[in-house]
Amino acid sequence: MRSLKAASILFMALSLLTLPGCWSSNEIEDLAIYSGVAIDEGDLSEVERGLEEKGGSYSKQNKITATVQIVPLKAGTKDEVKGKTSPYTNISGAGDSLLEIFRQFSLRLNKPIIGHHLKIIVISSQLLKERNIKQVADFMLRDNDIRPNVKIFVSQGEAMQILTTKLPDEVPSFFINDIVKNQFRSSKIMDPVQMTNLDALMYSKQSFILQTIVQAKRQLAFSGAGIIKGETGKWIGHLTEEDVECINWLTNASSSGIIKANNEEGDSIAYEVKGMKTRIRVHTEQDGRLIFQVRVESKGRISEDWSVEGNPSLSSYQKEAEKLFEQKLSMMMDHLLASMQDRYKVDVAKFCEIVRIQKPQLWKKVKSNWDETFSESTVNLDIHVNVTDYGSTTK
Amino acid sequence: MAVSKSFLGPNDKITTSQAAIFLNNAMLGAGILTLPRSVSESVKTPDSWISVLVGGLIAILVVVLMLKLSLRFPGKTVFQYTSAVIGRYPGMIWCLILVFYYIVIAGFEIRAMAEVTMYYLLEGTPIWAITIPFIWLGAYLVIGGIDAIARVSQIVFPISLCILILSYLLSLRLFELDNLRPILGDGLGPVIHGLKSTVLVYSGCEVVMTLTAQLENPKQALKAVLTGVGIPIGLYLFTVIMVIGGVSVDSAVTSTWPTIDLVRSFEVTGFLFERFEFLLMVIWLMQMFCNYSCFFYNSSLGLSQLFKLPYKAVIFALVPVIFLVTMIPQNMNELFGLGDAIGYLSILLFLLFPVFLSLLALMRFGGGGGARHEKS
Amino acid sequence: MLSSIQSHIPSWTVFFQAFIALVIPILIYRVYVRLDNLGEDKLSSSGSANIESSRDPLVADYDDNMQLIKSRIGANSDVVIREVTVGGVVKAALIYVKGMQEDHLLNMRIIQSLKEMDAQIPEQIMERFPGSSAHAVSSATEFSQGILIGFMALIIDGRKEGLLITPPQCPSREVSEPVSESLLRGSRIGFTEDLSINTALLRKQGLSEDLQIRSCLVGQTIQRELAIAYMDHIVNPDLLREVNDRVAQIKLDYIAESGYIEQFIEDNYLSPFQQVQNTERPDRVIAALLEGRVAILLDGTPFALIVPVTFSMLLQSPEDYFERWLPGTLLRMLRFGAAFISLMAPSLYISFISFHPGLIPTELALTIIETRQGVPFPALIEVLILEISIEILREAGIRLPKPIGPAMGIVGGLVIGEAAVQAGIVSPFLVIVVAATAISSFSIPVYSAGITLRILRFAAMLFAAILGMYGTILFFLLIVCHLSKLKSFGVPYISPFTPYRWSDWKDFFVRVPIFLMKKRPKLMKTMQSKRK
Repeated sequence: MRSLKAASILFMALSLLTLPGCWSSNEIEDLAIYSGVAIDEGDLSEVERGLEEKGGSYSKQNKITATVQIVPLKAGTKDEVKGKTSPYTNISGAGDSLLEIFRQFSLRLNKPIIGHHLKIIVISSQLLKERNIKQVADFMLRDNDIRPNVKIFVSQGEAMQILTTKLPDEVPSFFINDIVKNQFRSSKIMDPVQMTNLDALMYSKQSFILQTIVQAKRQLAFSGAGIIKGETGKWIGHLTEEDVECINWLTNASSSGIIKANNEEGDSIAYEVKGMKTRIRVHTEQDGRLIFQVRVESKGRISEDWSVEGNPSLSSYQKEAEKLFEQKLSMMMDHLLASMQDRYKVDVAKFCEIVRIQKPQLWKKVKSNWDETFSESTVNLDIHVNVTDYGSTTK
Repeated sequence: MAVSKSFLGPNDKITTSQAAIFLNNAMLGAGILTLPRSVSESVKTPDSWISVLVGGLIAILVVVLMLKLSLRFPGKTVFQYTSAVIGRYPGMIWCLILVFYYIVIAGFEIRAMAEVTMYYLLEGTPIWAITIPFIWLGAYLVIGGIDAIARVSQIVFPISLCILILSYLLSLRLFELDNLRPILGDGLGPVIHGLKSTVLVYSGCEVVMTLTAQLENPKQALKAVLTGVGIPIGLYLFTVIMVIGGVSVDSAVTSTWPTIDLVRSFEVTGFLFERFEFLLMVIWLMQMFCNYSCFFYNSSLGLSQLFKLPYKAVIFALVPVIFLVTMIPQNMNELFGLGDAIGYLSILLFLLFPVFLSLLALMRFGGGGGARHEKS
Repeated sequence: MLSSIQSHIPSWTVFFQAFIALVIPILIYRVYVRLDNLGEDKLSSSGSANIESSRDPLVADYDDNMQLIKSRIGANSDVVIREVTVGGVVKAALIYVKGMQEDHLLNMRIIQSLKEMDAQIPEQIMERFPGSSAHAVSSATEFSQGILIGFMALIIDGRKEGLLITPPQCPSREVSEPVSESLLRGSRIGFTEDLSINTALLRKQGLSEDLQIRSCLVGQTIQRELAIAYMDHIVNPDLLREVNDRVAQIKLDYIAESGYIEQFIEDNYLSPFQQVQNTERPDRVIAALLEGRVAILLDGTPFALIVPVTFSMLLQSPEDYFERWLPGTLLRMLRFGAAFISLMAPSLYISFISFHPGLIPTELALTIIETRQGVPFPALIEVLILEISIEILREAGIRLPKPIGPAMGIVGGLVIGEAAVQAGIVSPFLVIVVAATAISSFSIPVYSAGITLRILRFAAMLFAAILGMYGTILFFLLIVCHLSKLKSFGVPYISPFTPYRWSDWKDFFVRVPIFLMKKRPKLMKTMQSKRK
């Protein structure tokens, strides 16, 4: 009998413990998954303005506007949704802190939003001109839902617009996330900066670049990159697509892409890069200035040749073409170096890594004002292009 | 050929492989999740892996010393032979400190486990709901004695090893050798500075002193112990190399749980589990369970042997004690502070103590034959 | 200093929680100890003490004997007593049970020869009877029991003993294919209900002087024959002694099936895992004997028991060895995977759906969200609805006559599943999960192991519903802890998994080529370690 009693007490105690259980339980369909975030300068959207007129506001200064892209919010079966409504919903709000804005969405949505499936963050360059990227991204770095592999982009113009691009049956954030995978076809797409990288970059106060997304007529494209100055964390300028390409080649991040040159007649000739290898050595001069010896070697094929006369299968013609490409490439490189050293005075092509690894003692000294040191240093280019084949036609 | 052992006899002895895994599990705990950060914080260069390696070598030395000491007293645990070496009351006090240490370290492991779980898996669940079932489960296992713990460890360890290695291999896509260069760019200074925090992760190796008494085959003790220490050293080394190489020193320093963040930094698309941190955390929960059980076992064994108390009663009595220890740190900083404190205690007690005890034993009982003198 | 210590003293709620943390395990432990003690009693309490068969010898006088026999069993309508006179002088009677002696020709010959026999040579009477099992008994009890078992018995006036002449020929089932363990490749012979046929089947597996079969009677009110089979020179004597002891301790008035024995001799009756394996296949029994195990066969059931059993045996099938080693290995690993799925799949579903939406790949998460729109229940209830209906369906399928069974499966599985999805009670994704679970559990070769997993699956679901993935892990650890403490006849249940014995691993997850499996399992501590 006593065991029965003990058993019943036990049962009651256990059920008391377990009944209030399921603390963290939340059915997946009752959650709103957001896949993209856009952050702009603080500006009230039309909806919010309407709400505020009716008194729907709280104390804030509208420092930023955040837009989240929620997929799929609509209830109902697949067939009903398809075609009639877009597969995503955007909602934006202005405020002073991202977390506060996100929590404010709880007043406007019937489901809590969760960030586990966040793929991309787009920040407008306008906002970054004024605010440190650390301030803007701090919430994302700390939040436990958001994964560290979220990709970060900057936008020319409003970031919000990037997420509202009209694409048939496509969610813009997934769309952008997928464009990155085209990297093997174009070296103008840089390795995306992920949250983990951002964390480390901000900690070490390095300058870096973020891929820029532009948008026109509700179509979007990747184009060049925005420079973030390490010390201030602010956007200071824009690099062109070719510059990004060169950075990719300089940092060995990419060994694909094409180089297009014009011959004397003005005909296009395109060189498809099959391999690109960059070696950089660093020396110091007496006056303490640094000299970088950059040796770029490339192999590839002539994939398109508009010139009527030329014969790409001739080695003499190939030599000429190689010269053309080398010139073109060094022109592109020079443009990049000019931008980095003279115009913006930053190092975003990871020259610092070279110094850190090859001259660790020196690195300690120059670390604190690396960008200046770099802009004063000399970069010698040594470019070799080697045409190895000319496609499936000899002419 | 012939049957050597009773078929149904009580089984409180463990084989060589079990001893190795037991020791291994005592050392592999929450450390693997935080080590890259703690070591990078003090080293500040990519050379942290050298610190880990050197720290490991020190740990091997200490463990071998403890083993030699314990082998002088066959069949006796540290709780039984200490009094013989340094006298009854000093020995008692010493053993109580040891038990206290085991209890605190068990509480620390559980708390770390609970923090990771609450942060990544169960946001909003009260902490007692996470820790209490865990402690109960440990008590259930510990009642089964060292044999049961060793068995569970042997089941869990291969699984966790596979998943860990798999996660690291998958993270190779992030791995950049440049993140690990230059080697010794700042000389040996930072490496030595980092030793302090690496020795901390090897705390737990003290279980050798109780383990030796339960070996089925004490002749192979050295082999067991070296394997048992070698595996965690290898894993810690591998972890630090992969994390630093994958996310760079700067990121490792800023991340609370750098190892989890490394695995969170990539997605394996097209696989059932795109997200390996899930697997890693799940597996590591089990590993931490074994880890905590080792300490639970050692503390209850210690108490029951010291005061001649029934083993099961001690286990039940320790359940609320461990729970209270678990709840003492009030925030993450205090938790990590507790971890550091455990490490320092470990250095103080277990680097110096075995040396001291060995010397004393050598003086009192002469070389080699200590135990025989003891018996006669 | 003091204030910092003060600030670290936990609040009273924490102390209360600590108290709870102390009390509940103690309660559980006490309940467990009580239940366990109940189990201790099972070997001794039930039934009265062994009835000492009262020495009631048969006497020389025919009429007295007849009186005795008739008073004991004569009232039964199926006992036939046929009085004859040997050689026309000596009184004698043939006694048998109707239905047990169907061979009429033999009966006629016996009667014939009795009549024609010379009344003066009763001493050699035994030799005259056809059949090998004729023997004499002197105790009336034994004699009447012999008749009831089915012997044709003879009493002759002037002899102090009764003769049991022809053995029972009671109707028995033909040897047929084992229903519960059918194989594609391998012998199609299964045990029958007759013990002598079963032991014969064992002997027929191959010639060996080492194969020992010892039998005894079990049961107090109704006795049955039980045989213990083992390989001499291989089996560990301690194990054999333990098995004999445990069998000898069984006190029960009637043992209907070997399941009764299983429940009496198992180590831990509170464990959900079976610690004794049952099988219908003689080849399986012989293979186990060669590994140093002991088999227990009971008259009246085709299920033999094998002890000790280890976890890995529950996932092995004889086919693994009959097929080549690669397919054998593949199938075995598949089974391990299936066991895992059938145990864990629903609880993983619950923890993902209700707790960790972030751990599902994004695209899958979106699909699940779409399909779960409008499902009114939380994941646990949803899974329970479907799981319980599948279990009912399965149970019903076994009871139904063969021709209807499959039809019901189709109706139940397809129609209900489809309709439930259409009605929006469950999500299609769950139907996949539950179906995969059910199919996986069918692939487990030992039926009773499958049931264990089915029970545990529900426990896993509850754990998952409370603590999500963490709960599932706790559950898994609980199972592992339990298994590592469980023993079957002194053999740790999860060996050969741990401690690592590589030679035993050759026949665990993988099945290495047979020529490499030269050793008997070390875990059995056999007398011969090599397979000769």
